[in-house]
This record gives sequence, C-alpha cells and structure tokens, in this order.
Amino acid sequence: MAGATVRIEHLTKLYPDGTRALDDVSFEVHPGDFLVIIGLSGSGKSTLMRCINRLIEPTSGKIYIDDVEITALPVGELRKLRRQIGMIFQQFNLVKRSSVLTNVLAGRLGYVPAGWSLTNYFPSDLRLRAVESLTRVGIPEKAHTRADQLSGGQQQRVGIARALMQEPRLILADEPVASLDPATSHSVLKYIEEMNRRDGITVMCALHFLSLARRYGTRLIALKGGRIVFTGYPKDIDEARFREIYGEEAVEVEIA
Amino acid sequence: MANETLTRPVPPAIPRARVRPWTFFLMIVGLAAIYIYGWQVTQINLGELVTSTRLIRPLVRDLVRPDILARVPLRQEVRVPFSFTPEGAPPMPAPAADGPRIALSAPVGRPGQTVTVRGEGFAPGRPGQIIWTDQSGSSAPGEEFVTDGEGRFTVPVEVIDLIGQHHTLGVQVTLQGSALRPSSAFTLVLARLVETVFLALMGTTIAVLFAVPLSFLGAKNLMARTPVGAAVYVVVRTILNITRSIEPLIMATVFAVWVGIGPFAGVLALGLHSIASLGKLYSEQIESIDPGPIEAITATGASPLQVVRYAVVPQIVPPFIAFTIYRWDINVRMSTVIGMVGGGGVGFLLIQYINLLQWRQAATAVWGITIVVAAMDYFSAKVREKVV
Ligand SMILES: Nc1ncnc2c1ncn2[C@@H]1O[C@H](COP(=O)(O)OP(=O)(O)OP(=O)(O)O)[C@@H](O)[C@H]1O
Ligand SMILES: [Mg+2]
Repeated sequence: MAGATVRIEHLTKLYPDGTRALDDVSFEVHPGDFLVIIGLSGSGKSTLMRCINRLIEPTSGKIYIDDVEITALPVGELRKLRRQIGMIFQQFNLVKRSSVLTNVLAGRLGYVPAGWSLTNYFPSDLRLRAVESLTRVGIPEKAHTRADQLSGGQQQRVGIARALMQEPRLILADEPVASLDPATSHSVLKYIEEMNRRDGITVMCALHFLSLARRYGTRLIALKGGRIVFTGYPKDIDEARFREIYGEEAVEVEIA
Repeated sequence: MANETLTRPVPPAIPRARVRPWTFFLMIVGLAAIYIYGWQVTQINLGELVTSTRLIRPLVRDLVRPDILARVPLRQEVRVPFSFTPEGAPPMPAPAADGPRIALSAPVGRPGQTVTVRGEGFAPGRPGQIIWTDQSGSSAPGEEFVTDGEGRFTVPVEVIDLIGQHHTLGVQVTLQGSALRPSSAFTLVLARLVETVFLALMGTTIAVLFAVPLSFLGAKNLMARTPVGAAVYVVVRTILNITRSIEPLIMATVFAVWVGIGPFAGVLALGLHSIASLGKLYSEQIESIDPGPIEAITATGASPLQVVRYAVVPQIVPPFIAFTIYRWDINVRMSTVIGMVGGGGVGFLLIQYINLLQWRQAATAVWGITIVVAAMDYFSAKVREKVV
C-alpha cells in the first residue's frame, strides 16, 4: 500500500477569537515524502496538522487526500478516512491509566465493531499485531505496563505503535520529539523515518530544530504567521532564509 | 528563562512598621474584652473538671469493661400453640419422641379458665416456669413449679389475658450450671452496627446514582460550550454547594420528622448530603481530564462512543471509585452520629444506653463503633491505594 498524496488548496483557519492561524495555505505532499514543517511557536503548525484530519474544522479552503476531498466528507466517511491517517503528538496523548497494549489496540478502534470494542475485547490476531507493533518500536516487554509508568521516549514509541496499528497511509506528527532529549529524539524519529522508508507511508512532521529537519526531511515547508514562507528542500535553508523564518535575532542551535 | 531570573527586580525593603503606643494599648484592651466575653458566654469553668470527676468516673471505669459476655443459666424450653378461639388455631405439633415434651388438657381456652400442663422428659428436681407469649412476641411469666424425681410435672395454669387470639404457651426448666453467651447488649450492638454499615452503604449508593449524572451537568469543560449549558452548570453547582453546606445531622433531624425515627431517615440524610459532596468531587474530576487522549482516539477514526469508552472512562472511573469508597467510609462514621438524632443505627442505641446510665452497655457500643470505623478506614485506604 503506497503512501497518500495530500493536496491543500487555499486553506484558512480563523479561530472564534479572531486569530488567523492559517492564511491561504496551499501545497502538495507526494506519496512517500517526509515533509518537515518548521516555523516559530504560534506560526500555525498544529492548526495545519489538525485541519488535515479535521480535528479542527478549517474556515475555508480544500484538503484532498488522494483526490478525496476530506473537507467535504460527512462524519461517517470522515471517520473511515481518519483510520488511514496516523497521528503522533508532542504530549504523546496516551491514556495514562490504561495498559500499553490497550493504548496500542486503540489505534485499531476504527475497524472493530463498536459493540465489541466497548467491552475492551479485541480478537487475538489484533492483540498479536499490537505486540508486533510494539516489537517494531523495541518495547514488546512493556505490553502490560501502565502507560504512565514509561519514560517519555517509551511513551512516544507507544504512540508510534498505536499509529502503526492503523496501517496508515499518512502520518501526521506534531512536534513528536519536542519534549524529548536529543538522543531520544533521534531514536524516536528513526522509527518514523523507518515507517516512511520501509512502508512508503507519507509523513508530515512538525519539528523545531533545523538540524533534525535536514537529517530526516525530504522536503520542507516553513510557516510564519499562518502563511507559507518557504517550500523546497531542507538543504536549501541558508542563513538568510533562516533569519527570514525565525526572525532577525535568531541563532541556529545545533542538536547532536 | 535564564535572562528572566537574572533581571528579576530586588523586592523593595519594607519599612519597619511603627505601632504607636496608644494603638497598641487599644488593641490589647480590645482583645481582652473579646476573650473575657468569650470566657463568660461559653461558661468555661475549669474547676468543674476537677470537682465533678465523680460524674464521669462510672463511664471511664466501665469503658474498659464493656458488656460483651453474659452468664446465662442453662434451660430446657418447650413451646406449644394456645388459642382463645378454635377458629384459625394452628394445628398442635406432634410431641417429640424423646427429650422434654409437654401436653395441654385443651389447646383452646378463654382468659380466666384453667388448663392443665403436663410435662415429661425434663431434668429431675429442677425449678420451672410457664411463659406466655402473645402474637406480637412479647412474653409474660406464668405459674412456677418444680419437676419430680423422674423429670415430670403437672401444673394447673390459669389462662392470662393477652392481646390477640393465637399465642404460645412455653415451659422453661432451669438446669444446673450456666453458659457464657454473648450478652444481649453485645448482640444488639452488633445488629445495629450492621444496620449502620448498610445505612451508609444505601445512602452512598443512592448518592452515586444521582451524583454521576449531576456531575456531568456540573462539569465546566463539558457544559460551558453553550449559553444554556453554562446556565445549567451554574445552577447545578450552586445547588450542590448549598446542599453540601447543610450538616447531615440537621438533615437527619428533618428527615426523622418526615419519615419517622429510624434508619430510613438516616439513609435519606446521608444520601442527600453525599449527592452534593460526591457530585462536586466527580465534576472536578471530569473537569480535570486530559483532552489529549480524546484527541488521539478521535484521530484514529473511532466513534464517539468508543472515544468515551477508551479516552474518558479510564480517566474518571478509578478516581470515581476511590471517592465513592472514601465517601462510604465517611458515611459509616457519620451514621454512628446521625443515629443520635433519630437516624437509626448504632448511634440511637448508644444514646439510649447513656440516657439509662447503662455505662457498660454504652461502652460496648463505643467499642463497636471504634472497631468498625477503624476497619472501614483501613479497608477504604487499601482499596483506594489499589485503584488510583
Ligand atoms: N483554540 C484556539 N483558539 C484561539 N486561538 C488559537 C487556538 N489554538 C491556537 N490558536 C492560535 O493560533 C495560532 C497558531 O497556533 P498553533 O498551535 O497552530 O501554532 P504552532 O505553530 O503549533 O505553535 P507551537 O510551536 O507553539 O505548537 C496561535 O496564535 C495560537 O495562539
Ligand atoms: Mg503546536
């Protein structure tokens, strides 16, 4: 199964308080891309991510996933399409009191009949697959641990395993490593990179550090005040571009 | 961040307050007046503590020797039905083949008539007595007799006037020696303690049934999205706060007037108070749930019901259970007190014993309460440890 194409046309998001978080954003992501989104805090990265799977309703504009206009789908169809879009969060967003296994299985909820899933019953092949997903991110032994007993890096790996369960064609990763230390950041990003390279899943990933963007991204867009100020390749971000995106006083910080 | 720490301004030195002597003097006089009045109005009399020790002495003394066991004489007892009219009279049971048994000259008779009671198989040469028991279960003593050398007796018995038509006539023959049995105070306290625990359980359960739905209406994060919801939130919270501030003791007094003295009044009082306090605790719990998992589960394509099941329920159920157990624990404690104002349970019994100056029986109740409350406390702490 190939990665998805994402096409965004004239996307605008106005919050009720009048904040224009996205302003006429248009771009396209090709199957198998690892698209990095950079931009200052408040530039609209999270808003953009959440508009793509409509956790946030865009004010105007269109978003196509493989020629399906997600922005026009009724709720039932939207849920079906969401099953193919994995999401990874800065705060991991695991259900802390539930076991790691339940958290991973939750990635499959969109496929199991609602009646069954309400009893926390999952067929054994799904449970097996959940353990396989955990094996892929290197923590199969944590399956029966409570999620809040894991370290940050391990929690994020559970988040990745949850996304893997969806067999997604698109991954939306909103600053997946912003609350992790440099070494852990790399180990987590490597799993996302592996999903991208091995399974061909399209990845859209918001990152703070340019060094990480250069290391993992195949393409890059930069947001500033809700507008796209750069589209291209990570290697093309030079000193001048950097100042343009992050402001005049910014100094690039290397991350090992 | 580092920058911020460095440039934080040094707080200005506070000039030393100079209290003028006369303000100081006024303050002292004012305080003295307050405390002198307080001393008088609360009738503090430390001397009383010493001079009246004799009044508390029996209570303290009897606290260490609660009425738990009693020596009861061993008895042989046989009962048979006896009626004032033949209509509806219960059939006479067949006498036992061996062991003590009695026979009446007639199973029916009017008050004032005489029936002859014959008995055999009793202990020889022991004193016995006729016992009448009416329909309501209250009994009255009748003729006394002594069994002969073979354990037989024959007594003419005058039928006494009893309320109702169908009664029982019993024979008690006292044997030599006695047995150590739980005292009647002990069994009564035990029964009332059980009643107390269940009173608390019922009150808590009723409260949970109402508090769970109310807590959703009283959770700001769920309700404040629409003006109507916000209004409902304010109303629910206000009602909960007002109800919570009414002492359960006062509620129990009111309900005892309404539904009569007894455990039901206690259940209602505890229930109402617990609705308010659990409702508030539950709502606050709902308000503090992490929206992150809701977002994450929604993003996987799960249905709203699944989102509630997987992202909301795991966040609220363990604390709900913990709060509920804790509330039950508090309610057991409270129901011992509530009994004193007519809410049933062991408290009512304790107050009766105290009023009758039955200190040893009161001590039994006090110890029972202490043990049950301590046990509940321990149990609830253990359970809460497990679920949270
Ligand atoms: N629910 C909301 N209501 C109103 N304004 C919002 C809301 N969420 C975000 N905003 C505003 O929209 C703008 C974009 O926010 P967004 O969270 O998308 O930025 P971001 O690039 O993800 O920032 P960060 O790097 O800090 O996560 C900001 O100005 C923010 O204050
Ligand atoms: Mg963000």
